[in-house]
Amino acid sequence: MEGIGFEILGALLTTILAFVVGMFFGGLNRKITARTQNRVGPPVYQNFIDLMKLQAKRTNIAHGFMGHVAPIWIIIAATTVLMFIPILHDGLWFRNLTFRGDLIFLLYMMVFGSLGMALGAGQSGNPNSAIGVSRGLSQMVGFEIPFVLALVSLMIQFQTTSIQDLMAYQHETGQWIIFANPFAFLATILSYLGMFRYSPFDIVGAPAELASGPISEFGGKYLGTVMTGGSIFTFVKLVLMVDIFFGGAGNFGTGFWGVVAGLVELVVKTFIVYLIPVFIGLVSPRFRTEQAIRFFWKWPTVFGVIAVLWAVFL
Amino acid sequence: MVISPVHYIVAPLLAAFAIALLSKIYKNAARIVPGIVLFYNIVISLVLMPQVLEKGMISEVIAGWEAPWGINLVLTPFSGFLTTAVSVIGFAIWLYGYKFKVRLQGGEVKYYEILQMMMIAGSLGVIITGDLFNMFVFIEIVGITAYSLTAFYRGRDGAEASFKYLLIGSLASIFLLMGILIIYTQTGSLNMAQIAERMPMVPQTMKVTALIFFLIALGIEAEMFPMNGWAPDAYSQAPSPTSAVFAAVVSVAGVYALIRVTFTVFDVEGVHQYLIVMGFVTMLVAEISAVAQVNLKRMLAYSSLGQMGLVLIAFGIGSHLAVFGAIFLMLNHAVIKALLFMSGSYFIYNSDDKRLIGLNGIHKRLPFVSAIFSIAAFAIIGFPPFSGFWSKFYILIAAGDENMIFLIIGILMVTIIELVYYLRTVARIYFYKDEVEHTEHKPSINAIVAMSFLTLFIIVIGIYPNLITGYLHQAADSLLDKASYIQHILK
Amino acid sequence: MNTLTIILLILTIGAAFTYFINAVNHKLTAISAFVTITIATGYFFGLAELGDQFKFALGDFSMQWGLNAFSYYFIYIVLGLSWLALLYSIAYMEGKARLGYYYGAFLLTIAGMFGVVISQDFISLFIFWEIMTWASFLLVIYNYYYNIKTEGMKYMIFSAIGAYAMLTAIVFIHHYYGTFLIGEALSKGAFSFNQHIFIPIFLLLGFGIKAAVMPFHVWAPGAYAKTPMSFTAVFSGALSKMGIFGIALVFSTYYITHNAGGFIASQILAWMGGITAVMGTIYALIQTDAKRLLAYSSVAQLGYIVVGLSTGTKLGIMAALYLAVLHAAFKGALFMVAGAVEKQAGTTDMTKISGLIKRMPWTFLVALISIITLAGVPPLGGFVGKWLIYEALITESNNYFLAIVIFFSSTAAFLYSYRFLFGLFLGQEEEETKDVKEAPVTMLIPMLMLSFVSIITGVMPGLVFNPAAKAMNALGFADTNWDMTSLSNIWGNTTDLSLIGIFIIIVFILGFAVLTLKGRKKTKSVGTKDISSSGELWKEGENWTFQQDFFKPFQRAAAPLYKFDMDKIWSDMGNALEAFFGFFRKVYTGNGQTYAIYVIAFLAILLIFKDYIFN
Repeated sequence: MEGIGFEILGALLTTILAFVVGMFFGGLNRKITARTQNRVGPPVYQNFIDLMKLQAKRTNIAHGFMGHVAPIWIIIAATTVLMFIPILHDGLWFRNLTFRGDLIFLLYMMVFGSLGMALGAGQSGNPNSAIGVSRGLSQMVGFEIPFVLALVSLMIQFQTTSIQDLMAYQHETGQWIIFANPFAFLATILSYLGMFRYSPFDIVGAPAELASGPISEFGGKYLGTVMTGGSIFTFVKLVLMVDIFFGGAGNFGTGFWGVVAGLVELVVKTFIVYLIPVFIGLVSPRFRTEQAIRFFWKWPTVFGVIAVLWAVFL
Repeated sequence: MVISPVHYIVAPLLAAFAIALLSKIYKNAARIVPGIVLFYNIVISLVLMPQVLEKGMISEVIAGWEAPWGINLVLTPFSGFLTTAVSVIGFAIWLYGYKFKVRLQGGEVKYYEILQMMMIAGSLGVIITGDLFNMFVFIEIVGITAYSLTAFYRGRDGAEASFKYLLIGSLASIFLLMGILIIYTQTGSLNMAQIAERMPMVPQTMKVTALIFFLIALGIEAEMFPMNGWAPDAYSQAPSPTSAVFAAVVSVAGVYALIRVTFTVFDVEGVHQYLIVMGFVTMLVAEISAVAQVNLKRMLAYSSLGQMGLVLIAFGIGSHLAVFGAIFLMLNHAVIKALLFMSGSYFIYNSDDKRLIGLNGIHKRLPFVSAIFSIAAFAIIGFPPFSGFWSKFYILIAAGDENMIFLIIGILMVTIIELVYYLRTVARIYFYKDEVEHTEHKPSINAIVAMSFLTLFIIVIGIYPNLITGYLHQAADSLLDKASYIQHILK
Repeated sequence: MNTLTIILLILTIGAAFTYFINAVNHKLTAISAFVTITIATGYFFGLAELGDQFKFALGDFSMQWGLNAFSYYFIYIVLGLSWLALLYSIAYMEGKARLGYYYGAFLLTIAGMFGVVISQDFISLFIFWEIMTWASFLLVIYNYYYNIKTEGMKYMIFSAIGAYAMLTAIVFIHHYYGTFLIGEALSKGAFSFNQHIFIPIFLLLGFGIKAAVMPFHVWAPGAYAKTPMSFTAVFSGALSKMGIFGIALVFSTYYITHNAGGFIASQILAWMGGITAVMGTIYALIQTDAKRLLAYSSVAQLGYIVVGLSTGTKLGIMAALYLAVLHAAFKGALFMVAGAVEKQAGTTDMTKISGLIKRMPWTFLVALISIITLAGVPPLGGFVGKWLIYEALITESNNYFLAIVIFFSSTAAFLYSYRFLFGLFLGQEEEETKDVKEAPVTMLIPMLMLSFVSIITGVMPGLVFNPAAKAMNALGFADTNWDMTSLSNIWGNTTDLSLIGIFIIIVFILGFAVLTLKGRKKTKSVGTKDISSSGELWKEGENWTFQQDFFKPFQRAAAPLYKFDMDKIWSDMGNALEAFFGFFRKVYTGNGQTYAIYVIAFLAILLIFKDYIFN
């Protein structure tokens, strides 16, 4: 009983951590963007305020059953993936379900959320949503290819499909995988640009053109839930990247302060990685969908292929 | 009265004359008498066949002149099997044509039946004769009656078809005579068994030249390429029961003659390759031409040529299994082709447009006939579980045993072509919109019975071929066993 | 009499009986067909046992029918799916013409499939294969369109090419190995790729055409789309698996011996399967007719299965067998959904209808579950199949680039998956579909049962693994242990599906509760016309659903891939052949004198060359 209680507590803590960090990162993104555009920008905790505002709206419009359920799907996707990614290396706290799932499962689970979102958007009846979904899915085919190539190359190189093992390797040899297979990193980070949907790949929800794309018809508590899920998901993606390429976190032992230090390390590392899409997004124009897809099938895919060859022959 | 093989020929001949006389007294005699006679033929078969299978063969001399000076009739398991088949199918065709209204632009029924009877008599004669010149005589009888029957509808098309048939048939007669002439001068005999005995002593060039004449002449009769140009016209212009008889009886006789001469009488090397090659060419050209046809009866005629080609290939392969398959195929072809012509002619009868377009959606008016046509089509392509599958399968296995992979691939590719035009027709019958003007002619009960009987044969033998495989094995053995043929007759 | 024979008899006599009873009373036809299949299925699952055998002689050949674990596995698919499809047919085919013909041919097809799977000698295999083919051909041409003939003929010609290739192989197996028995031929090495390589290749050709492997897949989209949907469920779900059955059989020698010739063949086949998967997917996502979309999708899914078979490894074959069952389940359900939509709303053209979710909620539920399974998203069963394939390709057979190709196809599959759901069920409603009602219960029950299979295999794939493992034993693999609820690969990484499933359900329930209850009074439910349209008001009867050129950007991006049109290549070949034939037949000029000249010329040739021909 104590074990189960412990696990559930750990899961809740992880979720809250992800939520908080994700929201803050979103706020930081807005702040950085504003500053580069020579504005003051909203405060860093703006996302929390927005969330409270959304929850407090007087009416929430529900567009049918799928529209009602869609935000839940996103939460499910985000939290499930969260459970399976090791937060800290020496997993005593925050262990969650890390031993029980592998990379292939994660790949597919990440799509689960988009699918739910797409269905909810579809039911709303707004053509903008549908167009947004079509663009989003097409773009997904684009960026998934280099991502998978990179992951497969890592799987081959280290003969494992578990993130745990990748982190263990980095922990034991002290060498970050970004150096062991740099092309995998390049392919991954480029595909992450697509996943985050910041410029130049923001045509999915192109605000000035498409009235927010898939989330056009989500409002009130639904939009709040979507935002929550999105933030968690942001954190998840970043942690994945950090775990795989930057040695993960939690290298300070298992004591209380060790855990705290590990978390701090995690936040710092993820933030640094997060800056890459943010900065690229600041200075990029927008790609059309087919340009985006073609972009992903060119250099990122080439990097991915090199990564695989690197893994096979080196 | 002792039943002997000569009854096979005598009965239909007598019937022909009887019809001429009796129809003066009784109008319907012309229709009834052939049925009685053909039924009698079946009875003869049932009586004689067990004897044949037991003794190996029956040889009957005519008019007391012993072989080899007199004419003898030989009933081997092979020829006996064919005569039984011909009798049964002939009876079925008669039953089908019982109420056949000869269109009034033609002649009277009695002439039709007379000619038909004589054609059947002649064909049976070709099959059971043991004498070369006798064979020539019977081929002539078949020829003349066939020419007349082709032109029976006194129209332009019939006349043209008949003329072509006459032209080519005459060439056949000439070459056949020349072949017989050479053989007679070389061996001094006209009896097949005796010639076979003396053949090794004939000089090679003479032998081969004579063989070539026979191959050409009998090839014309057996519808081999390139001598089969007459066939499409003849089959399509003749009245429908006659087309069925052409397919089931006349071509069987022609092939039998060719095979008997090449296998038993002559002993030349290279005949087998010749048969395989020319058989394949026949099949290929015929099936390709069939695809392009727009007239149902012509299409069926070309298909007949193709099947005959396959039969020749099978005989050419020459092993026991191959000959077995060939005889099986001959039987199947006779049944199935007769059935196709029978059902096909009802289609034509029922629509004013004689082309394939006239078949659109006809199954609504003639559901039973359509089903029979479809079953027959499936059977001839070789779909299991119909009988056509087994014959093709045996032939393919025999070819496989001889390692003839390209032949097998060739045959199967041609089967695909066959499949295309038959299934096209079936689709037309069932699934196209019915647009053509039509007059209603439902099949009469006798036609239905006849066709059902043949269809039943296809299905039953398809599911359980063991019923006839025993007979077929004996027939194949008897064909390949030249020595006992000679010995039995010349004892 | 032997159980297997009795089942075949039930099916064939049932077919004939159903055909004739249609003339008596239309309503009885469907019932009679359904009763037949119920008796047959019940009889089989009740009485048939592993190891049943039936030997008899037919026309000089000895035939053998038997039931081993491998056959048993496929019979689940054949009889199970057929039973559900016939139940579905009762309502689907109501009021249509020529029911006797339809049900008769349907039952014959089932008999053919059953026969194929229980045959232990090649002749029976071929006979039942042909019966299956022409019976399904009859159903392909059932629908009354004018150029349905083309689709039917395409199907028949390709099937015939395959079948006759098989026949050639069978004849030569007899010639070289002296036997027609499959088991004996196997043990004598008939399928090894080292000697007489054309034998297994021809067999693979025959089976592969049935499994719609590129480049012989062109018959599939048309045939699947134009046949009545109740039969297509079986056509795509079970009949194509006969090809899979055969391919697995042919490769079984290779699985054990792993010789070089087999390796090359399997690699080629694997890549053909991969290309099939990609091309099928990208053609699926540009379709506007839901039926054609599903048809192309079927071709793509079969590609996955073929890839799995070709890897020759434990996980790969398990993936293939597992996907075979699952594909039957979810594709059968999807075709039934399309049929339900067609029956209730009149068309499946996605540019003409949309927004059916409110009117046909159960149908939508089935579609949703099946699509999620198709896409391979956890926690439903499709994920297990995808997992197995990737693991097989990456961990066991080192076929990395093929894994990427499969993944590309799988990702692109999300596109048409979404399109199917969106096109038919989501978006704004069409005026004409105002009065559409939910599908009748007899159609819903089979669909829901198939969805249930998709769901349950998501958490407990062991239910399928165990029979499949027995099947693999029959093929010659060693005994392996498969967990009921978790997946593991050879590197020791596991995925625990039950935990995932439980977790997802818990979160869903929690989230649903929170989202629904919180602010309940403040939630207003609106229809699909009530959208934020920036000041533009919609007119009466206008439908703003985005349906046309749904994936145009992707089409533009992947334009080079779309240039490869296999269908056109085959059509051109066919037309060229037909023209050639039309020209060739002029050999028969119709002129009597010409024929006479032929005769005399031939005589002359023979006389001149007689020494060469007859020596």
